[in-house]
Amino acid sequence: MVKAELIKKSPLRIFEKSTHGGVGKGNIGIIAARNGVGKTACLVHIATDQLFQGKHVIHVSFSSNTSHIISWYEDIFQEIAGRRNLEEAMQIHDEIIKNRVIMNFSQQGISIEQIIKSLESMISQGAFAADCIIFDGYSFSQGDPDDFDRLKQFAARLQLELWFSASLPDEEYETDERGIPTVFLPYIDKTAILITMNPAKGHIRLELKKDHDLADTQDLHLKLDPKILLITEEA
Amino acid sequence: MNNQNMRNIGISAHIDSGKTTLTERILYYCKKIHAMHEVRGKDGVGATMDSMALERERGITIASAATNVEWKKHSINIIDTPGHVDFTIEVERALRVLDGAILVLCAVGGVQSQSITVDRQLKRYNVPRIAFVNKCDRVGADPLKVKNQLHEKLGHNAVLMQLPIGLEDKFVGVVDLVRMKAVYFDGAGGSEMRIEEIPQELQQDANEKHEALLDAASMFSDELAEGYLEGSVTPEQIIQAVRAGTLQCRLTPVFMGSAYKNIGVQPLIDAVIAFLPDPTEVQNTALDLDNNEATVELKSEKSLPPVALAFKLEDGQYGQLTYIRIYQGEIKKGVELYNSRAQKKFRVGRLVRMHADNMEDIESAPSGDIVALFGIDCASGDTFTDSAMNYSMTSMFVPQPVISLAVKPKDKKSEDNMSKAINRFSKEDPTFQSYVDPESNETIIKGMGELHLDVYLERMKREYKVELETGMPQVAYRETITRKVEFNYTHKKQTGGAGQFARVAGFIEPCEEEEYLFVDAIKGGVIPNEYIPSCDKGFRKALQEGALLGFPVVGLKVTINDGSYHPVDSSDIAFQQAAISAFREIYRKAAPVILEPIMKVVVESPNEFQGNVFASINQRRGMIVSTTEDTAFSQIEAEVPLSEMFGYSTVLRSISQGKAEFSMEFLRYGRTPQSISEQLIKEHEAQKKKN
Repeated sequence: MVKAELIKKSPLRIFEKSTHGGVGKGNIGIIAARNGVGKTACLVHIATDQLFQGKHVIHVSFSSNTSHIISWYEDIFQEIAGRRNLEEAMQIHDEIIKNRVIMNFSQQGISIEQIIKSLESMISQGAFAADCIIFDGYSFSQGDPDDFDRLKQFAARLQLELWFSASLPDEEYETDERGIPTVFLPYIDKTAILITMNPAKGHIRLELKKDHDLADTQDLHLKLDPKILLITEEA
Repeated sequence: MNNQNMRNIGISAHIDSGKTTLTERILYYCKKIHAMHEVRGKDGVGATMDSMALERERGITIASAATNVEWKKHSINIIDTPGHVDFTIEVERALRVLDGAILVLCAVGGVQSQSITVDRQLKRYNVPRIAFVNKCDRVGADPLKVKNQLHEKLGHNAVLMQLPIGLEDKFVGVVDLVRMKAVYFDGAGGSEMRIEEIPQELQQDANEKHEALLDAASMFSDELAEGYLEGSVTPEQIIQAVRAGTLQCRLTPVFMGSAYKNIGVQPLIDAVIAFLPDPTEVQNTALDLDNNEATVELKSEKSLPPVALAFKLEDGQYGQLTYIRIYQGEIKKGVELYNSRAQKKFRVGRLVRMHADNMEDIESAPSGDIVALFGIDCASGDTFTDSAMNYSMTSMFVPQPVISLAVKPKDKKSEDNMSKAINRFSKEDPTFQSYVDPESNETIIKGMGELHLDVYLERMKREYKVELETGMPQVAYRETITRKVEFNYTHKKQTGGAGQFARVAGFIEPCEEEEYLFVDAIKGGVIPNEYIPSCDKGFRKALQEGALLGFPVVGLKVTINDGSYHPVDSSDIAFQQAAISAFREIYRKAAPVILEPIMKVVVESPNEFQGNVFASINQRRGMIVSTTEDTAFSQIEAEVPLSEMFGYSTVLRSISQGKAEFSMEFLRYGRTPQSISEQLIKEHEAQKKKN
């Protein structure tokens, strides 16, 4: 398969169709799940899909070691390239990794202003024309809804698409009538897309809980295959 | 001396974490020196381990000298390892002979980029290590943060063995978490230790950390685990368990102090004895050259034939001094040894034990020991055995030089001295190489980076009084092909005398796995077997110089599948020539490209200059791979072509008010962008015309 076809056949096109064009520039998307369900895999798949399209991605993480994040990207790339039998995979790999940068922050003591400032220096002084920023491991319980305002302004100003992962509590949690976990309610107005990941039989179902300003959300018919850790279509 | 009472240790560290001062203090407490000096001391004497004037001036240690000290009836050989990444071959060679190491970290700076490099090297050679957090007296000192960084950044199972009593200018001593006592350092140079009860305000913290220590250590000892459950634990049990974990490289005990203020050094020397291995606890192997390089285990028994490795050469006042590590048997003055690389026998004239600047003559040295020989002609890395065995210690990983520089002596005397100096340096350091360019007749020196060559140029000037002019540094490019093409070439010569005839046919194609592969697919003897190696040899010769820039061609596979010969006129030379010409004829058709060395560059910078660093990397065609940022510092990891890195240290200083620093090591060869390639080819053509 050549690259163009691979992009066309990506399950993420289904996501974009169901959500009327995806998260969109200047907006924020959240993937929420309990720990260990596969949020990072989903985010890395989304990022890799963007990279395939020639877009630039900054991956923001809040751990101290970057090597395991790089391995995530390597694994997801190999998995996609292998399954789709991608032609000239090595060359495409070498091209797209140039468009990815990983920025790590230890969240204790680091303000959202500092994070935004560093991202801006990467984009302007580092001449890294980012299209999408992935925030993996941002702590919503320690965070502040005002942070989201700042991030949304920043995204709007630089025309960026932001994706967050969010941990859901391990115990039972409350949801509102739309099925949105109440922990996200302070953030929900600032969020364009909210997807939750729910264990179903043998796989993880991706459920759309918020789709921009629409009252009804469509069924995504997408799942995360826990064996290969890729987003795939539901059979 | 008994083997069990011996330690061979290195002190590995980031520049400026105070390694030289620490070494100095260890020598002082072990009564090897009578006065202490500072690295950049006003008295102009300099710390004893920095034996070279240049190092003294720069305040850094370049060459690894070995020195022997005695502590509580144990003999400790200290190998002073250099801290800068540009001299990694020195570090790696020193690591080869170590059994354990002290990883020195700065209580303020913590785990910095070079600490990471140094630690990775220690890991590669499986060297057990203990950590010493130095400079606890400095403003901003935080040994607990450093302990956490050991865990987070280096993946160590770090466990506190001590707690600081006070910090910064109030730092006065340490709490020993094994014996649960406070230790203070009194008297001249802190040489008297005063043991007291733990101060009230630290008691609770000490109890918690003591529990954490027991928790971590009981993983490595059933005895301790049982004692822990029963509530009766002895210090000996803890020490034994921590030792077991350390030797397996699964536990890193963390000590702390301030070498400068004479706090915490003696407990550290005790820890070397208690937690680092003796030579019998380390497995060493050699290769048997007579048995197809089979691995043989070396045993430190005295009765076995000797095996020793020459790991360091030095120019002494009375000729060449060769530092050796003995791995098996015993070496006595007057015995005959065999150099397995040079295949030469020699006699041990003088055997000495080294202190940093003086030496002691000895009659014999047992296995495990580190001593020096006098007046032996050999190279660094040579193995000595008795002549009955043909062993070689495992060949060390030697990277290829990535940078070269033309040097021109100003007069005849300088020319003579320069060749002496180059000869010496290339023996000491295999990554430093030289050759005479046949076209320009210039001497070219090659090395691992700008600073690496700078240091040798400085040494030529100072130690050998060489006056010279240097050219611009040149990058070691490579060429490779990107397309498969077929060849079919007939070499024919019939001009009087014996003729020459050979025909070779086949194809060349890109090959990612190997630098060069030769495949013989000849069927039916169209090229006789005896000439196949000639074809291989011809291709190898042709690959030495690519047509684009004249640099070696790598990453290709040659397959020969057809050819013809003549019963009289074919010869080894004819087939070699046919291969060379075949390659030259089709090379351009195989879409050759230029490869350049790409360096892994790690910059440490205060956050305020982060943007400047990003810009500086971007301007250098660099690719930022990742950044790691805390509230004060950023670490930026990037891949940058070597050709763009010249003068970077000056640039980095100026864009960060001198506060950022970087390290750099060779990563891989990468394809040069089209525009740069064209420029390089143009320059090469112009140069060729000029000659």
